[in-house]
Amino acid sequence: MTEPLTIEAIQQRLCEEIQTLLSLKSGSITPETSLQSLGMDSLRLVSLLIVIEKVFGISLIKTGLTRQSLASVRSLAAAIHAGLHP
Amino acid sequence: MKLSLPYSHNRRYLTGIDWAIGTLDYVTRQATGVGNLSQVVLELEGSLSPDRLRGVLAQISDRFPLIHGRVARDRLNLAPYWKIPRSRANADIPLKVVDLPADANLAAAELFVRHVNTPLRGETQHLRFLLVRLGDGKSRLGLVFDHKLLDAYGAEAFLQLIDETWHGRLETIAAGVNVTEAAHLDRWTMRLARGRTINRFRLELSPRDVIAPVLPPRCRSRAYRFVHATLSPDQADRFEQLAGEEAGVPILLPSAIARSIVAMRPALAGAAWPGTQYLVAVSVDARPADQKWQHLFFNHLSFLAFSAPLESAGSVEQLLPVLSRQFVQQMRDGVPSALQEASMLMRICPYGLGSRLARIPFKGRMCSFYFACLRNSAFTAETFLGLGAVDLIHTPRVPPPPGVGICLTSFRGQIKVVLSYLEGVLDDRSAQQVMRRLKSRLI
Repeated sequence: MTEPLTIEAIQQRLCEEIQTLLSLKSGSITPETSLQSLGMDSLRLVSLLIVIEKVFGISLIKTGLTRQSLASVRSLAAAIHAGLHP
Repeated sequence: MKLSLPYSHNRRYLTGIDWAIGTLDYVTRQATGVGNLSQVVLELEGSLSPDRLRGVLAQISDRFPLIHGRVARDRLNLAPYWKIPRSRANADIPLKVVDLPADANLAAAELFVRHVNTPLRGETQHLRFLLVRLGDGKSRLGLVFDHKLLDAYGAEAFLQLIDETWHGRLETIAAGVNVTEAAHLDRWTMRLARGRTINRFRLELSPRDVIAPVLPPRCRSRAYRFVHATLSPDQADRFEQLAGEEAGVPILLPSAIARSIVAMRPALAGAAWPGTQYLVAVSVDARPADQKWQHLFFNHLSFLAFSAPLESAGSVEQLLPVLSRQFVQQMRDGVPSALQEASMLMRICPYGLGSRLARIPFKGRMCSFYFACLRNSAFTAETFLGLGAVDLIHTPRVPPPPGVGICLTSFRGQIKVVLSYLEGVLDDRSAQQVMRRLKSRLI
């Protein structure tokens, strides 16, 4: 049986995936990074939600997501964690 | 065997999207006598010195001779490229200056409309400025740009480049600007596969009878006109919140398109080819987030398309789930990147042939209207050449057909909305009504 993902592990993976998605340098994103500062428009946001679906197996498009959840990588990771461990 | 030509300093191969934009330029020029031009107008506090601007433009022209380049075609592999002159020689970026009295806002607006409807000269002129100085001390600077050289986001960044140059930062920025592009004559199998994705998408989406405006006769004597509206930062924030609540996730695009369809519906009802489906072609900015300078020149776009049945088109509530589903599905299928790759295959076609091929699937109707939604403005400076920069608006000429489009841009927290239409596709009164309907649904 696989270990449940910790919130720190989700944050780490999320940082990596966002860096890849936005063609950013490794280490340029931290849990405190504001997603708005990364120029997250509708296109990039949906791309990110699709990546999250593939990586974490949770569809935030279906379950919903608030603007507060998108304030930072940390808050998005918390939303994923809450979705994975309701 | 891979066949890749080396990079060259005097040629920049066009991407498939650059080629598609060139085709739209051909289409627009054929129909209206003027190419696929757009304009971005910057409003300034104070009287801008033309000499100061000319000096900065000369520095930029010297540093980037590609501004005076032109499209050519490789005789060996038929790939189109941008021929970059070794130096700008005597070529300048034209600047016209007009002084008007303090209360001549309407006259100034008309000058900018005329400016964007006036053709650029020759094959190598791609930028042109109009400076209007009003008696109240304010200035407005309009940059008309050829879409073959700059996209809308790039044009905003170009305005910022002017200010950065004035502050002595041209060389620092120029070092990071990408002016080369490989010929991309490899990976044909992958591109053919992407082409199949696009064809499948087009077949699934393409309705047989698109509701589309009928182009008026004598288009060549007609100009584009524009209606603008602004949502204050508070109104923009409320709309973004509302869009998030409606869609379940904070994505703006489907909500904005749904409202645009509802607003456009009555205007198209009486002046369009009848049909059962609305089809909205949407251009999206595809450059990575932190590459404003790297991708300053040429086009870094892709396209999406949304269809909506006639019976749902009166209600945002009915449209939203349909459009959101289509949006997510197109992103899952990788349509924007597939289009970028697949369009590489089309570059061998001359623009005239390309324009005829593009019309086949929709029987020449193309779409009901174009829609564009730009991310936060690339012009982020507080000042421009020492004067306070207070507003930024776009006046795009939307290629015909359909010759009508809605563009949302964002500037300092405001959402700027512009409806652009070829005279005769809509009349001024119905255009005003479209904008009133749209604004009332956005706030």
